[in-house]
Amino acid sequence: MDPSNQVLPTKENSLFKRILKCYEQKQYKNGLKFAKQVLQNYPNHGETQAMKGLTLNCLGRKEEAYQLVRQGLRNNLKSHVCWHVFGLLQRSDKKYDEAIKCYRNALKWDKDNLQILRDLSLLQIQMRDLEGYRETRYKLFELRPTHRASWIGYAMSFHLLKDYSSALKILEEFRKTMQKNTYDYEYSELLLYQNMVMREAGLLEEALEHINTYKESICDKVTSLEIRGELLLALNRPTEAEKFYRVLIDRNHENKDYYLKLEKALELSTVEQKLALYKDYSLKFPRAHVPRRLPLNYATGEVLEALLEPYLQKCLLKGVPPLFTDLQSLYDQPGKAELLETLMYRYLHNLETCGRLDPSDESSDKEPACILFVLMYLAEHHSHLNNTETALKLLQRALDHTPTLIELYIIKGDILKRAGDLLGAVDAVTEAQTLDTADRYVNSKTASFMLSANLIQAAQDMCSKFTREGVSAMENLNEMQCMWFQNDCAHAYYRLGQYGMALKMCHQVDRHFTEIIEDQFDFHTYCMRKMTLRSYVQLLRLEDVLRSNEFYWEAAILAITIYLRLHDKPITDVTFENDINTVDMSPAELKKYRARQRKNRKAEERKQEEKRKEEKKAEQKKKQSGQDDLENPPQEELIPHKLERPADPINEALNFLRPLQALLPQRLHTHLLAFSIHLRRNKPLLMLQSLKRAWSVDRDHPELHTSFVQFLKYCKDSLPRKYQAPVVTPAESATPVPLPSNEQGSNKPNPTNHHHPSNKHIKNSKDNKNNNKDKNQRKNHHHNHQNNIASNNTENCKTDTNASTEIIAPTKPSINLEEEEANFDAQEAVVVAIIHEVMTSLVGTVDPVKLNEDFLNKNNESLPHRLQAARSMMFLDSVQKQRAIGIATEIGDHIKGRNLENLQTVLEWLEGLECEASPEEILRFKSQSQKLFPRAQIFMSELPQSHTTTVTTTTADGAAALATTTAVSGVITSVAPSITDDEITANCQQYDEVIVNHVNHVDG
Amino acid sequence: MKRGRIELGDVTPHNIKQLKLLNQVVFPVSYNDKFYKDVLEAGELAKLAYYNDVVVGGVCCRIDVSEGQRRLYIMTLGCLAPYRRLGIGTLMLQHVLNYVEKDANIHCIFLHVQVSNDGALDFYRNFGFEVVETKEHYYKRIEPADAHVLQKTISKS
Repeated sequence: MDPSNQVLPTKENSLFKRILKCYEQKQYKNGLKFAKQVLQNYPNHGETQAMKGLTLNCLGRKEEAYQLVRQGLRNNLKSHVCWHVFGLLQRSDKKYDEAIKCYRNALKWDKDNLQILRDLSLLQIQMRDLEGYRETRYKLFELRPTHRASWIGYAMSFHLLKDYSSALKILEEFRKTMQKNTYDYEYSELLLYQNMVMREAGLLEEALEHINTYKESICDKVTSLEIRGELLLALNRPTEAEKFYRVLIDRNHENKDYYLKLEKALELSTVEQKLALYKDYSLKFPRAHVPRRLPLNYATGEVLEALLEPYLQKCLLKGVPPLFTDLQSLYDQPGKAELLETLMYRYLHNLETCGRLDPSDESSDKEPACILFVLMYLAEHHSHLNNTETALKLLQRALDHTPTLIELYIIKGDILKRAGDLLGAVDAVTEAQTLDTADRYVNSKTASFMLSANLIQAAQDMCSKFTREGVSAMENLNEMQCMWFQNDCAHAYYRLGQYGMALKMCHQVDRHFTEIIEDQFDFHTYCMRKMTLRSYVQLLRLEDVLRSNEFYWEAAILAITIYLRLHDKPITDVTFENDINTVDMSPAELKKYRARQRKNRKAEERKQEEKRKEEKKAEQKKKQSGQDDLENPPQEELIPHKLERPADPINEALNFLRPLQALLPQRLHTHLLAFSIHLRRNKPLLMLQSLKRAWSVDRDHPELHTSFVQFLKYCKDSLPRKYQAPVVTPAESATPVPLPSNEQGSNKPNPTNHHHPSNKHIKNSKDNKNNNKDKNQRKNHHHNHQNNIASNNTENCKTDTNASTEIIAPTKPSINLEEEEANFDAQEAVVVAIIHEVMTSLVGTVDPVKLNEDFLNKNNESLPHRLQAARSMMFLDSVQKQRAIGIATEIGDHIKGRNLENLQTVLEWLEGLECEASPEEILRFKSQSQKLFPRAQIFMSELPQSHTTTVTTTTADGAAALATTTAVSGVITSVAPSITDDEITANCQQYDEVIVNHVNHVDG
Repeated sequence: MKRGRIELGDVTPHNIKQLKLLNQVVFPVSYNDKFYKDVLEAGELAKLAYYNDVVVGGVCCRIDVSEGQRRLYIMTLGCLAPYRRLGIGTLMLQHVLNYVEKDANIHCIFLHVQVSNDGALDFYRNFGFEVVETKEHYYKRIEPADAHVLQKTISKS
């Protein structure tokens, strides 16, 4: 068949239509049958080929699918079907950018195709191409003005672009067309959405008028009242607002926010006024908790005591286990902890002597559990104040009173954990767990405590009591996106030095976030249809900042720390031999030992290989049976062994860092880690930028000081950098602007890598594209890319575009090296000048030694500061090691901040790569610390023998686990590799931003 | 002031350790694993008593068949010291009495009490139990080792 003539005769055409139908009805086998029939006679019919490919994709035969769809497209480039199919294929692989391009091409040939327009709009909103989304929604609106979704989608596109007036105009027109039944939830939601847009546009008066007009039609009465209250407060009409908050409180007496808003509406300023308000409400609603709890925050002295007495007595008589948690926030206010302690001891005394909280009140019955809750409260109280022994004594009294109260064992665990006795804590909560094995909270708590004590296997076994049967707990928890567990696991593995496993956990958490973002896709159609527009917009906004979530933060911080460590001290395959002292072996013994090790290793590998094969088989089986695979393309397997041997750890760290920089710039460690990464990348201006940002977050943080010292030392030692003539390769000379070498990653030194078909490299080359500021090249790249697809090039060629662009481009005339060098030196001088100026304004000096000595003198009595001074000292001059260790380990009574956490940080530093103190020094510090925290296991030279446990196997495991703990914070030990000219270009690109920042800073 | 809430609950594999713990604290005798295994099968004959949702008491019985006669034997019935005299023991014993009431084949309840345990003797006498026998050296390893056998015959119409 002539490729130019792609029109099928009637019979085949009807067959083709049946293929489409089969695809829609998921009758893939039949679809293939019909496709075969068409292709028998017309083997080059593009659309049939494409459809066959798409059908195969649904059956999990991805490679064939791609090949067929590409072939089909080549045979009929002008078919919207072929392009649409290619788009669908890309979409099923989550390559949304590519899919958008395909849809656009499809629309070129059939510009009013509704299905394609709808699919395109979904991809655009998913990718937040808001402008494109608006255009597509406009098209859909034009084509189908009678459809409800057309109006809403079009209005929403304006809303998301903050063009409120257009959004409101469309919404109002649409509202007029809507039927108003007596109870119409969708109409109500539309009204509330309309109101939301008004409020966001700042049209408060209009919003108030709007909601007053339509209040009858709004089904969500609470939200309606809340909106009116808030609008009136914002419009400074407090007396009217008061009315609404009073109504809301009458509806729900336990919403703290309503009371606080009512305070605002009543314009209460003095404590007395507020207390009077709450007194009224606690009389009005005697059973309500909030109006009795809130005044405790305001009252002081005798007034507080008068309020606390009835509050505490009620709780103690009733038996409220979380009473301490409820009142804990009061401990931040001066004097309140003391008052609580006095009252509680008074109750304890009264109960011991006469069995009542209040001896004068003889009318009441004696409540047997009252003393139990007083003892429990006091135990928690003392633990909070770090009086571990008092806490434990009180807790034992409570246990003697009622040994069956499960909460007591949990509190015991908390007390012991706080004191550093991690294994004892595990025992206590395990006891609680065995008392009620149906309680998942206690089960999780036990697992979490086990992970803190590095008992990873025990924790998994514990969790397996609640996870699905037939799969390992770890697997099931990953499937369930149980991130607290994975993060805790990651930390445990990290402490045990199993970086591969730790990274696997971090990557799994990261993937959960990717998945959550992808899951959003389903809501684009669902929410529109169900009219839950407010929630939908909230969802979109949540997804935009999803990685600001604490779980991501935790995983990212740890992953970056590990990658930095792996950069500083990569894992070599012989490291595990160091476990056994090979020096003492005779050559023959050594040979035997090595042989045995090789054998072991091979056996291990074979086992792993078999396991992997089996898993693959199982996976394939699953694939054949299920059709979910269209939604879930298989992900690259996370293999710990590979993860801890990354080709480019710094780039991996950067991948984790970027979301933090974008979403959590208010956190100091975002910038400190950014600094640590850039230091290793040898990028002085980016280092400066990170430090400036850190400085603006918390200029007094001790850790920032060390980064400053490191930076100043780096500047002193390494700046200005010497010009190095580029090694001219054809590829580089062709590129208009040289790519920053680090950005290029591992594929730079070996151009043949470009041909590597693995996914990783595709991704890398994509990164390159993004990082390159040169628009021309990007266009070129894009162009080529399209051509490649069109001309049915294979995957290999697609990844090859970079190289081919470079080869096609005309060779640049030879570079004038002298001129380049002069330019370089001039740029470098500017860099040095900027750094000098900024650093002087930030820390007052550019001499790191002086900075550190001043810092130490100023903060001579603070343990965390002393540790940072010591770290800095080591960075500056490792000869000073003894002095540095002396400074960090001085923990006499005059030193402040000697808490468990700070002491632990010092110990980790001593044991870590940065310091590598001698065993004697470590032991000395441990025994000193142990005097302060006698129960803390990390300071014990040997683990306690008397340690009783219900799970004996876990203790043995635990002892070993704790003994080998060598947690290390990832900090610099080696200086980054030498400078190349690419760096300078990269730095130059950063000039603008830094200079702008700098100017802002000086102004501010 | 309102009294705490008292309820009975089942013994299950999930909470059996609470019963063990309770018996350890309340009784001078310790029971073996077989005892607890049987308790799990005992159904209504074994119960936990809750005070404000906390386990404070427990009762375990079994059906004793000897001389062709079915009798209910109370193996343990106990309550934590601070929670006594609140009606928890009564509730548990009442539960046992109700059980016997419904079973037409049981005409007799009996149990052993250490001779020195006046509190328990008074408690059971209140419900119509009588000392029918005193066994010497009934208990091992505790003093006094003698036990009264208390019995209540249920007359059914």
